[in-house]
Amino acid sequence: MTATIDAPATATAVTGTETEPKGHRRKVDVGTLLLTIWGVLGFLFLFFPVLVIIAYSFNTGRILQAWDGFGFSSYAAALSNPAIISGVQVSLYVAFWSAVVSAVLGSLAGVALARSPKAKWVGVLTGLLALTLVTPEIVNAVSLLPWFVTLGTDWGLSAFNLGLVRLIIAHTLFSCAVVTFIVRARMAGLSVSLEEAAADLGAPPIRRFLDITFPLMRPAVISGALLSFTLSLDNTVLSSFVSVAGSTPWPVFVFSSLRSSLRPEIAAMSTLMLLLTLVALGLVAFVLSRASKKTGEGPSLASTLAGG
Amino acid sequence: MTALDASSAPGLTQSSGIGPRRTGARRFRWNVGLLALPIGVWLVFFFIVPFVVILWYSFGDKPSLYVTHSNDTLSLGRFAEALSPVFFQTFARTLNIAASGTLICLLIGFPIAYWMAVKLSPKYQGLALGLVLVPYWTNFLVRTIGWQITLSPQSFLADVSRNLGFGTPELLYTSGAVQLGVVYNYLPLMILPLYVALERMDHRLLEASRDLGANAFEGFRRVTVPLALPGIGAGLLLVFVPLMGDYITPSVLGGAAGSMVGQMVASQFQTAQNWALGSAMAILLMLAILAVVVVFAIIFKVIGMVIDRVERVNVLDDAKGSAA
Repeated sequence: MTATIDAPATATAVTGTETEPKGHRRKVDVGTLLLTIWGVLGFLFLFFPVLVIIAYSFNTGRILQAWDGFGFSSYAAALSNPAIISGVQVSLYVAFWSAVVSAVLGSLAGVALARSPKAKWVGVLTGLLALTLVTPEIVNAVSLLPWFVTLGTDWGLSAFNLGLVRLIIAHTLFSCAVVTFIVRARMAGLSVSLEEAAADLGAPPIRRFLDITFPLMRPAVISGALLSFTLSLDNTVLSSFVSVAGSTPWPVFVFSSLRSSLRPEIAAMSTLMLLLTLVALGLVAFVLSRASKKTGEGPSLASTLAGG
Repeated sequence: MTALDASSAPGLTQSSGIGPRRTGARRFRWNVGLLALPIGVWLVFFFIVPFVVILWYSFGDKPSLYVTHSNDTLSLGRFAEALSPVFFQTFARTLNIAASGTLICLLIGFPIAYWMAVKLSPKYQGLALGLVLVPYWTNFLVRTIGWQITLSPQSFLADVSRNLGFGTPELLYTSGAVQLGVVYNYLPLMILPLYVALERMDHRLLEASRDLGANAFEGFRRVTVPLALPGIGAGLLLVFVPLMGDYITPSVLGGAAGSMVGQMVASQFQTAQNWALGSAMAILLMLAILAVVVVFAIIFKVIGMVIDRVERVNVLDDAKGSAA
């Protein structure tokens, strides 16, 4: 049996190396060339509107869409517009606290999931987290709005009338699941033997966590927190539903000015925000690459985002 | 008691275990489960309960102009209203845009992911991955505005078209513009899982199929696609679900011609102030997504089984052929 399969295989291999290397090589190259062209075009497509926004941020006209001339006037206007500055401040504040809350909740859950793979609640919690990831944002938004009204007005819990509190809670729903999956992936790749050794040597649970567990999971926590930060900055749908007057985050400001008219200041501030996001992402990539070098994992950012 | 301890303590401690250490290990495990409690409480309180509340609202109605909802009389009337021809048209259009958008994303994204994972040298793969992500983490709304600028009658594209004598093209506020916008906005979500699946693939399998006499197309069909199937499934899911609920893209690019369910739900809560009807629409949207996902999962399973069966038969035939 093995002989009959082996024989034709070696035969093709031999003829392959002797007679058709040139033809074979060229055929592969045409395919590769087409794929490369397609890939480069794909990347241009992905970057195109971002480049348009950056270009139009230098528009000196009054309306964003109508190009007038090149200049930096929109940057000056954006930085001296109190509504824009306050929007960005609200966004940064909410992003910071939603990152902190998501990091704490997600890290705890991530450790719990990674360290008790056979417990009965694991399936329930994983399902719940997956559900938060696949629920369309608009459904979350319309269900949170009446709930906040109920809590704040009917039950008299006035904290839920504060725009900042509402925004922070809304933004954590998605990102605490993201942090959980990142931390779980990290902890699942690490052996429990270090923690057990510390336990054998008599270290109390708090000490074990601070000296052993936390340093091991730190890269995952930091990258998860930074991802939550950028996710929160990006959020428009939930924010436009739950925010109240006086605490309008940046994307909601942009969304509402869409109804009147877009001005180049918006493109200017977006370009500045893009730079900020890039710095945050650069940090994530740096932390993750350092972590994956240590444990020898693959591209963990992509596999985490893909749910792997 | 001792037997229980020994069975719950893994590997290393088992050999060196004496009384107090074992209890330490057991308490550690017990504590670990509790760490998941805060997130559970948080999600139940801010995710499950609010959803149950709108489920409750959806059985009520809007009694008068100044009241958003009432549950005094319970009925399925809001669901019937949400499925009436006026709104059903939008449901149908949304499903159409979402289904075709997801398929277009797969057709555009697969070659890109394949190129990144197989053709690009591993040195540049991290960079390429970063490049896919950069636009994605730029504000969703702002990127869509980038397309609005491009498609607007004042844009450079329109200038080019006028200079060439084609007149001003009508691109903005059409369902075509929405289709372009959603494909653009969700393409990275398709590329990422495909890339992960293809990157994990053992490339020697393709070489082996070549050595066994398969041509490029056969190798693609019988090796690459079956191995990429989980990635394809994840990508379709990641694109389809948020696309169904999208509310930003049609608002920026669609105008009246390309409105989607997300906007319809939002307007019931924000302008019409009919929370009962809006809730019913949101529940229907959620059910529609779940139904499509379940049907899809079944189809996917069947495809996987058919591929498996066909391959086995082929292998058997080949074996018989070579034996004869």
